[in-house]
Amino acid sequence: MSLRSYIITRILMTIPMLLVLVTLVFFILRVMPGDPVLAMMRPGTPKAYLNELRHEMGLDKPIMVQYVDYLWDLARGRLGTSLAPVRGRPVAKDLWAKFPATLELSLTSFLITIIVGVSTGAYAAYKRRSAADYTFRLYSIIIYAIPVFWLGLMFQLIFGVYLHWLPVAGRIDDLALAPKTITGMYLLDSVLTGNWPSFVNAAKHLILPSVTLGLYLSGIFTRLTRSNMLNSLRQDFVTAARARGISENRVVVRHALKNAFIPILTMMGLQFALLLAGAVLTESTFSWPGLGRFLVERIGYRDFPSIQGTVAFFAILVAVVSLLVDILYAYLDPRIRY
Amino acid sequence: MNDWEQVGLIARFLRGRKWYGSEWYITVAGAFILFIVISSTLLAPLLAPYNPIKPAGGRFEEPGAGKTVIVVATGTTNITKPADLAGQKVAAKAHSTGSVRAEALKADVYPALSVKKALDSLAAGNVRAVLLTTQEAQKLLPAYQGALKTVGKPFGITFYMGTDNLGRDIWSRIIWGARGILLVAILAALFSALIGIPLGLISGYWGGTVDRVLSLIMDSIYAFPGLILAIAMAAMLGPGIVNIAVAISVVYIPTYFRITRGQVLSVKEELYVEAAHSLGATASTIIKAYIFPNVVPSIVVVFSLNIADAILTEAGLSFLGLGLPPPTPDWGFDLNKGRAYLPLGYWWPITFPGAMIALVALGFSLLGEGLGEILNPRLRES
Repeated sequence: MSLRSYIITRILMTIPMLLVLVTLVFFILRVMPGDPVLAMMRPGTPKAYLNELRHEMGLDKPIMVQYVDYLWDLARGRLGTSLAPVRGRPVAKDLWAKFPATLELSLTSFLITIIVGVSTGAYAAYKRRSAADYTFRLYSIIIYAIPVFWLGLMFQLIFGVYLHWLPVAGRIDDLALAPKTITGMYLLDSVLTGNWPSFVNAAKHLILPSVTLGLYLSGIFTRLTRSNMLNSLRQDFVTAARARGISENRVVVRHALKNAFIPILTMMGLQFALLLAGAVLTESTFSWPGLGRFLVERIGYRDFPSIQGTVAFFAILVAVVSLLVDILYAYLDPRIRY
Repeated sequence: MNDWEQVGLIARFLRGRKWYGSEWYITVAGAFILFIVISSTLLAPLLAPYNPIKPAGGRFEEPGAGKTVIVVATGTTNITKPADLAGQKVAAKAHSTGSVRAEALKADVYPALSVKKALDSLAAGNVRAVLLTTQEAQKLLPAYQGALKTVGKPFGITFYMGTDNLGRDIWSRIIWGARGILLVAILAALFSALIGIPLGLISGYWGGTVDRVLSLIMDSIYAFPGLILAIAMAAMLGPGIVNIAVAISVVYIPTYFRITRGQVLSVKEELYVEAAHSLGATASTIIKAYIFPNVVPSIVVVFSLNIADAILTEAGLSFLGLGLPPPTPDWGFDLNKGRAYLPLGYWWPITFPGAMIALVALGFSLLGEGLGEILNPRLRES
């Protein structure tokens, strides 16, 4: 199978998964006990007004009709309109406005996760049964047990409150400092526009949240890298490379680690989902104005269409990322395509 | 050697120390942590000095504060112990530990703006006594040398972990708080096991379309960020132990489904299952007698790791304000409340509950990790 036909098959396979996910979101939110309209409004709201709202949201139609409407809207990129705090505002518009902040946080965190996780895991495998090996293995268990929001709070306490090194909340000190919007990601935009002060300020705000989220996931990568690396170091090609007199560093990094990395890559799709879950908590901890904080804030308003829209958006995001990871995997490892 | 050391699981476990090395110690460490936490929360009525949902002292008393002393004018003789304060005019800083204690002793409390103001009014003869903490007494009393004196021993129990924004004893909330989070996590794990395992058995045993459909659904949920699903469900269901447990359990059904299905698929090919088939055993007999017992060891491990995960998810939900209804002691929610006061440098309301969440999650992780190595030796790396 050529890479191209593999990609086409894989895209076609994403559709049922996506369908299951959005269907799940729909039914979980709709079939669960509790009327969204009733949950949203204060007790004692006139019945006529409740019914009007139900009608406006299409909740008075039969469930299957609602479901088909929902899928049809989703296919056209419509996620409904907000009920509070600004009634009638399209949810999709809010999501697009918040998405770059989450993406910026996720990408930097993921980078930190990989750097920390892969280096500790590879080192632990290379120095197997050494003190460093046990330390890093213990680290991977402990860091996973630490709640990500608590880690963030501790960092805020140490680096923000006591040492005053870094800001503890938000993306930038002053909106006037924010770079001109191109992608919505402050770091990238400030580089693109050559806005140095804005870059420094945005970077300072990004350090604590991304280190928090990055470390949270790094333990999993330490483990994954360690076990794959152990496997890879046992392979004949490593022995062969050593026999050819290639320097030890080069054998470990270029030969063993490079091959150990491919199975790690397949796990990245799943890890990305964990990263998004962690992002919701991290964003709330650091008042980072992204999708996660948006979701939590709208839960406070009981803004049902926004909650449903955000969860559906996350579902699409997860499906797209796992698609991209699989394509990358197929590109790097031709065996997959056959 | 006793009889019970020679047979059964316990024997295997005890002998394991020699066989499994570090894994044995990991298991024991996890079990030890959990034993301490669970037994202390069961003994909460004995161990927690204060009511976890009532103010026990002033706001944000530091860890180690909490002992109170009675200060009277030098000439006073009828007040020598806390019980003597009943019905007396007593001054204390408003909302301080002293004033909470004075209320509890049924004294006639005169709130003052500061400890110094309270002492001044005592020196002026307006009240009969002042209640203040030992730390405050050390700092302020020397100025009143000769006019005022302390009587009796300092009384009240120290706030080992300080008090929170409402003056509640954090140590008591920690001890009581383990109940809610453990109950939710264990219930959630049970719910998901009760749904996931049968579905996994069915799917793995019969295969075909059922298997394909179930697998697609389960894989989709598995790929989805669990916490976000739980947030959406918890928001719809509202607070409460069972509701939160249900919201969390949906996330972990696929974990049980996948592990069970995988085990069934491999066991199904074994010769003894085929033999049972040819002897005319029914599907339910085969599943009950031959397949299910083989699935159990993996499930024990997954169950333990799953509780660790569920604890973190519960803590995350309550951190976002979607956990147990206040004022129930709930570690995650306490972190959420304490967070607002972090910029003022109050480190204790956020440090201790978070550390407890980490500790309990770590206990279940270690137990699961260790058991995994011991019960499924085939999975061990050589």
